[in-house]
Amino acid sequence: MADTTAGAVWRPHGTARRSTHTLRLRVSAALMGVTVLAVLLVPPLAQLDQQAVDLAAKLQPPTWAHPFGTDDVGRDLLLRCVYGLRVSLLVGVVAALTATVIGTAVGATAGALGGRTDRAVMRLVDAVASVPHLLLGVFIVAMFRPGVWPVVISVALTHWLSTARIVRAEILSLRSRPCIDAAVSGGASRWRVAVRHLLPGVLPQAGLAAVLMVPHAMWHESALSFLGLGLPTHTASLGTLIQTARGSLLAGDWWPTLFPGLFLVVPTLAVAGLAGVWRERINPRRRSELML
Amino acid sequence: MLELRSVTAGYDRRAPVVREASLTLAPGQALGLLGPSGCGKSTLARVAALLHRPDAGTLLLDGTPVRRWRHRAPREQRTAFGVVFQQPRLAADPRLRLADLIAEPLRATGRRDQIPGRVTELAEATGLTPDLLTRRPHEVSDGQLQRACLARALVLRPRILVCDEMTAMLDASTTAALVAAVERYRRETGAALLAVGHDRTLLDRWCDRTLHWHEVARSRADAPT
Amino acid sequence: MTRPGPLLTVRGLSVRFLMPGGRRIAAVTDARFEVAPGECLALIGESGCGKSVLASALLGLLPANTETAGSARLGDLDLLTAGERTLARTVRGRRIGLIPQSPAAHLTPLRTVRSQLEETLAELTGVRGRAALREAAERAAQRAAFPPDHLDRHPHQLSGGLAQRAATALALAGDPPLLLADEPTTGLDRPLVERTVDELRRHIEADRDRALLMITHDLAAAERIADRVAVMYAGRIVELADAAAFFGTPGPRHPYSRGLLDALPDRAFTPIPGLPPELGDLPAGCAFAPRCPRADTSCTELPPLAGSVACHHPVRPPVPAATPENARA
Repeated sequence: MADTTAGAVWRPHGTARRSTHTLRLRVSAALMGVTVLAVLLVPPLAQLDQQAVDLAAKLQPPTWAHPFGTDDVGRDLLLRCVYGLRVSLLVGVVAALTATVIGTAVGATAGALGGRTDRAVMRLVDAVASVPHLLLGVFIVAMFRPGVWPVVISVALTHWLSTARIVRAEILSLRSRPCIDAAVSGGASRWRVAVRHLLPGVLPQAGLAAVLMVPHAMWHESALSFLGLGLPTHTASLGTLIQTARGSLLAGDWWPTLFPGLFLVVPTLAVAGLAGVWRERINPRRRSELML
Repeated sequence: MLELRSVTAGYDRRAPVVREASLTLAPGQALGLLGPSGCGKSTLARVAALLHRPDAGTLLLDGTPVRRWRHRAPREQRTAFGVVFQQPRLAADPRLRLADLIAEPLRATGRRDQIPGRVTELAEATGLTPDLLTRRPHEVSDGQLQRACLARALVLRPRILVCDEMTAMLDASTTAALVAAVERYRRETGAALLAVGHDRTLLDRWCDRTLHWHEVARSRADAPT
Repeated sequence: MTRPGPLLTVRGLSVRFLMPGGRRIAAVTDARFEVAPGECLALIGESGCGKSVLASALLGLLPANTETAGSARLGDLDLLTAGERTLARTVRGRRIGLIPQSPAAHLTPLRTVRSQLEETLAELTGVRGRAALREAAERAAQRAAFPPDHLDRHPHQLSGGLAQRAATALALAGDPPLLLADEPTTGLDRPLVERTVDELRRHIEADRDRALLMITHDLAAAERIADRVAVMYAGRIVELADAAAFFGTPGPRHPYSRGLLDALPDRAFTPIPGLPPELGDLPAGCAFAPRCPRADTSCTELPPLAGSVACHHPVRPPVPAATPENARA
């Protein structure tokens, strides 16, 4: 391209506003990376048994041998936390995905079909939402024996509501656009319109909702475990770790509760940071930086 | 060929936007419908293209009354119409490249083998260069996107074209180019045209006959403009 | 008798966008024109030619990834180098009034027209006190032919024409000498377009010190009220002419302008073949050459804006003494 204004003096306009944006992205990505690495690499590499009981080393504060200290039966807390994080993440991710699938299906059906179906579904959503979700979660989990799946079901059945509302709203706004009219006029069947034109418009929002749901699910599971209603105590999840360490806190041993708590907070912050960046990316207004 | 009798339609049964509208479109005819914004002509255009169910009145397509609308209407009836809307940005799926946008009706009706030929043909007819076909809507201008929407409307060779303020947002040259493309298509296939708009000069020049809204429907009391 | 100098003098104004990946988009290149008091200059071009970018540059509303060059002098102030503070405090609303493209989108939807008008008046003029503000708001509304009984409505309750008048009232609130109308007729019906532009014309005729720079692709509206016309193509001004000579006889001189007029439905209704070039990929010579019926080898060199046309083969030889500066003497 010929630069015909070779003699011109160019002045920059405005300053870059991106400084905090990239910092946030980098920090979140780093935290997330550390989490994922720890979860994937430590168990096979450590070759130490997290269940190894060493009663002689009960409740030791953090030392070089045990960076996070030991718990009340002498197990190394660092290893326990990493395993706990693994379990919590697994439960969180599976539960979040299940909740998102349920929410998307319900919201899409309500939005696409409209009319009486929409009204009935929304009344159901309102009814479920009116119950405090932890209470509902406890109720569901109490119906089963302690285990992983009841916790997943409990989280999924209490967290699908917001996704359903978001998806329904998105579908309603997409349906009224001329591009749907054009598809109908072009011979598309109802199924094709829903799958090819409506759902893809919804998926970015649904995906974002799923990612943001993972910390919620982890916290919900920890809360249930803390109450003794979630995972069985022999399974190390962050919630059960905190639950078993409750007694030590009163005795003045801070490390058995602090480190599992930290391991719960760090991924939450990382996910929140990354999701914020993702949300800005999918926001359509950002794309029009060039307005002619 | 297409006859609307006393059609009343709207988005709320208690407050219809169109009241008792009647018009007749003969085969091969270009009919212009002129009316101020907000009068309901876009709604009537959607009813005519089987995209909106009227609250009252009848629509006769080739003499037979139409009883089902939108998805319930048989595919042959729906695809007999080609529709172009006012705002190309809202009428185009932002994720599809222009070539896929134009080919979408062919995919929807199971005629994939025709895709390469028809897309090239129509791109040429509407003045789109091949490099534009691989772009997405946000990478092309409004005028180019509207050309793609026109190509999409023509891809199934409709018998009746409905243009709802097709050129309202476009400049003079693109307007003339799109109208020329429509007229070329009509000369080749003998299709009829219902052009809805508010530009009298354009409609008078383009269509065989122009009706004013008050000749077509009962008007509501207007807010002061 | 000495004529007052021009209100706005633009020389060599260029704007380019810096896209990710090092790509540069030359949205406006080397724009040069003047707006004299008491006149209406219509800046014409198709969508995507850079006219709105030019308007944004004049008001200092360009996005962060742009660079500017050249000058745009409003009196003694260069709009391109003035800082944000100067622009916000002395220029916007006070020396340049912007009438935006879609008024309904520019009015705050949650507040009534009256409250927005009063807020603007309080900010731009020195009026204080509820009673004085109320009166000032009603006078401002009347100046724009906005019915006072509609002042307590919200923007979404107004029709297109009324919303346009509300936006005009806001633009006139600070009594700016230069009005900048950015596509004021988009989406309006023909009768309403005519009424809107007639009202805009009335504002500059009422007070001979005001001027109007109207950016539009609606040639009929420009024909109706413009005194002079500037045609933009691919970011450059390719013709500057007297409106009567442009729309009537002898007609425009640049082949693109002729093509634009020929495309109107009340004239030949023939489109210009081809499509406008990408602003990120402009050729070295005349950008219109690929579509021009008069192009030849000399068009590989960029034609300068000489004698009010930027073309190697303008349609008619220049008529003596028809240059913009002394055409109005």
